[in-house]
Amino acid sequence: MGMSYRQYLAGARIYGCSTCKTHLATIHSMLSRAFNGQHGRAYLFEGVVNVVEGKPCDRQMTTGNHTVRDIYCIKCGVTLGWKYDKAYDPSQKYKEGKYILERNLLVDVQ
Amino acid sequence: MRLQSDQASSSSTSLAAPSNSLAGSSTPIQGSNSFNSNGHSNGTGPTTNGFSNGLTNGTGPSNSTPGSLKNGVIKHNKNVAHVSLPGRKLFSDSNVDREEFVRLVVQSLRDVGYIESAATLEAESGYTMESTEVAEFRNYVMEASWEQAEAALIRLGVTDEDNLMESRFLISQQKYLELLENRNTTAALMVLRNELAPHHVDPEHLYTLSSLIMCSTPEDLRHRAGWDGSRGNSRTRLLSNLQKHIPSAVMIPQRRFLTLLEQSRLWQQQRCPYHNSPPDSMSFSLYRDHHCDSSCFPNTTTTILEIHTDEVWNIEWSHSGEYLASAGKDKSAIIWRVGPEKEPAQREYTQHLVLRDHQYPVGCISWSLDDSILFTSSENHIKMWNTRSGLCMRTIETHTETVTAIRWLPDNSGFMSAGLDRRILIWDPEGNQRDSWGMAPIRVTDLDVSPNMTKVVAVGVIHLPPIPHPPTSTGNSPAPGARGDSASQSPQSQSHTPSYIVKAENRMIVYDLATKHQIASLRLDGETTSVRVSRDSRYALISHAPDEVLLWDLSLSRIACKYTGQKQGRHVIRSCYGGVDGNFVASGSEDGNVYVWHRDSGALLEVLSGHGEGSVNAVAWNPTNEWMFASCSDDKTIRIWEAVTPGMLEAAAASTPADKDTVMSDSASVAGSSKNEKGKGKVTS
Repeated sequence: MGMSYRQYLAGARIYGCSTCKTHLATIHSMLSRAFNGQHGRAYLFEGVVNVVEGKPCDRQMTTGNHTVRDIYCIKCGVTLGWKYDKAYDPSQKYKEGKYILERNLLVDVQ
Repeated sequence: MRLQSDQASSSSTSLAAPSNSLAGSSTPIQGSNSFNSNGHSNGTGPTTNGFSNGLTNGTGPSNSTPGSLKNGVIKHNKNVAHVSLPGRKLFSDSNVDREEFVRLVVQSLRDVGYIESAATLEAESGYTMESTEVAEFRNYVMEASWEQAEAALIRLGVTDEDNLMESRFLISQQKYLELLENRNTTAALMVLRNELAPHHVDPEHLYTLSSLIMCSTPEDLRHRAGWDGSRGNSRTRLLSNLQKHIPSAVMIPQRRFLTLLEQSRLWQQQRCPYHNSPPDSMSFSLYRDHHCDSSCFPNTTTTILEIHTDEVWNIEWSHSGEYLASAGKDKSAIIWRVGPEKEPAQREYTQHLVLRDHQYPVGCISWSLDDSILFTSSENHIKMWNTRSGLCMRTIETHTETVTAIRWLPDNSGFMSAGLDRRILIWDPEGNQRDSWGMAPIRVTDLDVSPNMTKVVAVGVIHLPPIPHPPTSTGNSPAPGARGDSASQSPQSQSHTPSYIVKAENRMIVYDLATKHQIASLRLDGETTSVRVSRDSRYALISHAPDEVLLWDLSLSRIACKYTGQKQGRHVIRSCYGGVDGNFVASGSEDGNVYVWHRDSGALLEVLSGHGEGSVNAVAWNPTNEWMFASCSDDKTIRIWEAVTPGMLEAAAASTPADKDTVMSDSASVAGSSKNEKGKGKVTS
């Protein structure tokens, strides 16, 4: 794999991993605050950085069946949320390729 | 210069008074014609002249028979017949001027001490090395006859106003210093006021000179003026400085022939792609053009070190060249001891120490100047290890993000560290923070200090805030020119980057170490991963994505060369200099090969395969053995590369076929320990 440095973000507000403060996403890529995760409120992001994606699996959610992958922090390995691979319900298609980060696992960083 | 010591003996023979009378009558001899016509009149009118002891290097003629001459052409001996040759060329089909050639040969002969031969050559050729004027001038300077020396300048053809002024200044300056040295302050002051000041030199220089009046002792004066006194070499040095203002055809520059030979050597060396031999060795013969055999290049793996349990990311030789440190993903660093060469290219490598206790993978490693401390960095921690005991002396946690560079300062005053937190910090040798450079404009991915302690070169990345509304992908977004670009801009196209990814700008920044001021800044296409300043502090070698290693000329602030062929996309790939005079550039590559180029031409010399899957992350040339370097890879191994000639291979095979595996032992103390169970080092031949 080789050695790589983590990516860093810049902008008005940067969300980082609450465990190790690794940069994850900026407010500029946030699509919605109206999501719920296992630990309460969650945000939908267009893209995130410094995460490792797990294996895809089908999960029944309040809005229907989805194929998702859990995402982990690249540095400390904490589970942060998930990524939507596929939404079965046509009205939920907009989520495909997008990421969920749980608010309680995030911290503001600079 | 031996002039002074020889003076006594020679002046008794041929120098002395008559030279003055001659000086008055003769005219400066510049062209070849005057020599030619004189040379024919073989030995009439015996005269003495100043010439005979006015040798370039001062080797006075030892013979006591005063030569006969006319107009400065000396005929030392036994009626050597003048050989009259047609034309003025050395050979009819060459462009070399015969007179110039002969005069240089005469100069060389004299300098070496072949006085008779030089005289004979002068007689036979009809060319003299130099005129009596020059010899006299030399004597004036060496004997501190400053007025006469000044007066002689014009006769020697120093007619240009600037040259004349400069020369006079040099002479007055010497005069001033010598007066001060003799404690003749009043006279010195007069010289300062009447001769030096009116020359309108650099006021600072004049100030420095005037401040020397305050020196209490001659020793103090010599020390402060950086001048070795009238009894030292200062007059000789003055002479060679004056030389620069005198037409070289009149007064041939010192050891001119040797200069030409040196130039020829340098030229041959530059055209030798595999050059890797010291300049004084047998490899430079005047009889043939120099050429280094490519078979002497270290392109053969002689050892594979495989103890690391995961990817090896970085390697660094100790300054002594006897130890190699390696580190990587397995969260450990290993110090290897390189044994002496037993058979050609056969050594024993022992695992001297394993440094564990890192929470995360180890990214950079660095040695102190005396090799007593090894630094390792793991995320934002720096650890200082005692390289004898293997004990961790200190863990520094000041950085808040990944530490990417640790460099011991060349003056031994401590070390410097930098990281992705944009901090550049200076530490004392014990690891106490001494200075901080504040926040750098870039997240530093690597940094190096020039060996002459004048510059710091940092590479890294600036993250610019994303544009609020994604559709504006004109590529013309946030001011990249704001940081004083000195180099070209290649506008990065944003069109393929998703809007949530922050725009990153990669940069090299050169700082003045003393003032921390930015001297130069260069924008680069992709992620920068390594920087190395050359041993002569002239160049900075920078690895950056995509697929490029770049040589930056620090003195001219421009790109000197680019090296391509290797692959670098998203990984930290490191490059280094190698060989005698840092003649090579080597780099790892994501394609698993090691790449080596000729530094000055950029020609790709070698693509060395051998490592397995994954990237070759770093290469490091042995600092004390120009014929050996190491590379490390994702394949968990380190390879040692050396020059192996076919003969050596046969010898190695014949000697100890059973002993092909080098012995690895855990303890460094047992050099000749039993064949160890851990024997993982291999000699692949």
